[in-house]
Amino acid sequence: MSQYKIIFTGPVGAGKTTAIESISDVPPVKTDATASDMTKNRKSSTTVAMDYGIMNLAGGEKIHLYGTPGQERFDFMWDILTTGGIGLILLLDNTRADPFQDMKFFLDTFQSFIAKTNVAIGVTQMDLSDKPAINDYHVQLQGMGLKPPVFSVDARIKSDVSLLVQSLLYSLDPELEE
Amino acid sequence: MNNKRKSSLRVALHGMDGRTYKTMVMYLQGPCKGAATVVEDLDAEVDMIDADSVNAKALLEQRQTENSVRPIIVLSLQELNLDNVLYVKKPVKTADMLDALSKAEAILTAKQNPSDEVLFNKKLFINKDEHKKTSKHQTAMHLDEGNFNAFIGSIPGLDVNDPKQFPNASYNPKEYFQGYFQSACLIAQTKKQVLHLNSGWKSLIIFPHNHEIWLDADDKQLRAFAGLPISSLSGPGMSLTPASAHTLSVKKELDKFHNVDAFLWKLAVWTSKGRYPVALDIHKPVFLKHWPNFTRLVVTPHALRISALLIASPKTLPDIAETLKIKPQYVFAFISAAHALGLVKQAKRQADEIVQPPVMKNNERQGLLTRIISKLRGHKS
Repeated sequence: MSQYKIIFTGPVGAGKTTAIESISDVPPVKTDATASDMTKNRKSSTTVAMDYGIMNLAGGEKIHLYGTPGQERFDFMWDILTTGGIGLILLLDNTRADPFQDMKFFLDTFQSFIAKTNVAIGVTQMDLSDKPAINDYHVQLQGMGLKPPVFSVDARIKSDVSLLVQSLLYSLDPELEE
Repeated sequence: MNNKRKSSLRVALHGMDGRTYKTMVMYLQGPCKGAATVVEDLDAEVDMIDADSVNAKALLEQRQTENSVRPIIVLSLQELNLDNVLYVKKPVKTADMLDALSKAEAILTAKQNPSDEVLFNKKLFINKDEHKKTSKHQTAMHLDEGNFNAFIGSIPGLDVNDPKQFPNASYNPKEYFQGYFQSACLIAQTKKQVLHLNSGWKSLIIFPHNHEIWLDADDKQLRAFAGLPISSLSGPGMSLTPASAHTLSVKKELDKFHNVDAFLWKLAVWTSKGRYPVALDIHKPVFLKHWPNFTRLVVTPHALRISALLIASPKTLPDIAETLKIKPQYVFAFISAAHALGLVKQAKRQADEIVQPPVMKNNERQGLLTRIISKLRGHKS
């Protein structure tokens, strides 16, 4: 049976692990470890390999949900993870010093994968920091020639994550039936 | 000070030694992205005091006495609850500092209009935890075809899904509460002033600084009022006045705050009742500037599909319905809401129609993607 994947990426603390947990049918496999580097300023533990969850579809198919580790020193894994992926979910933490720089970094890094598939962007922590606003992200993206979905997302809320993934799939094919 | 702020806030620092002073100067320019600039006391608009300094109490009293018009931000390791003082807990987090600076700016703007000042003091010093409970943080509400008609209502004698009746299936937002609300928001935004929209109906207050409104009505009441042409209403008509005494009740009813975009989106859906805005030519293509922030809006049937289609290329409203094989009322309702937020524009130039060629990505896994969506939407398939 084919392996179908949706990839979740973004900087440390953006909510990748939580987002996968929100829509996975099984308790996700986490590979967290106590943070010992700069990450510890943002949270006590972080993903050092990858997160993994599953969505079980009717007919026995499985969609594998992979979360990339947020730290750049693990970027050698990202190419491996994206191979055969359906699309990319990019989560950005609005409380970080420069979320636009984060966005550009990940869009550049996954450029070839996005070109083959598509991307949807979720902005987290907007309840703590409402600037930049969602419209500001669109202005930045317009400058990059991109018009992906950008939603404010609480990774703990299943409907938020679900809508983001749905927008990714409809971006791939608007004529998909509801 | 001008109404429209184009430069950063001018802040005077007090109670800080040389090293802390320099650090704060760099911090405001760096992590705070220049939201504030440190200046001499005489040129400052805002005072910032280190409340952990030896003479902090005296400094605070002095600033409050000598410059009562200036907002004061205090930084402290201890939780402080001082009247009319903005508090930032140490170690200082950028989000907290930006929040305090934003509030200080709002106070300065409000002080230009005395009637706004009381209101802002009430609104800005609300307990943060209380504020998080307001309706502006509500997540998306999904509508499917089954509950759509009951949600939006209909126009007697008009079948918006009949192509022959398309010419009559438009509506003019200006003839409804929606139009008045949009105009009021525009004025409040331009003046940067808290305004009260008097409709002879329910009290509505617009807070332009944080893009919120406060409405003394529930959704059921709003839906009923939204669909009534204003000309058919009796009463004194609409007026816009600076908010004042109305604010006295605001503090206790935080659940009546709404984000302007989420409110306007919902209002437009209810006003349209499945019709399209008269400003759009149904025979000319429209395009979507960018995706709506769906996680904080009412998601009408097929709204995600319509968005994806219009992002790919401009289309006429009937073409959208035909391409997606859906009833025109779903297209019209979505377009009405997106148009109200300024997201939908008519493609007037040839270039608009060829912004992105209408080439869909070849997708051999349509069935799989449909099953994923079905799963995400909670359908049993």
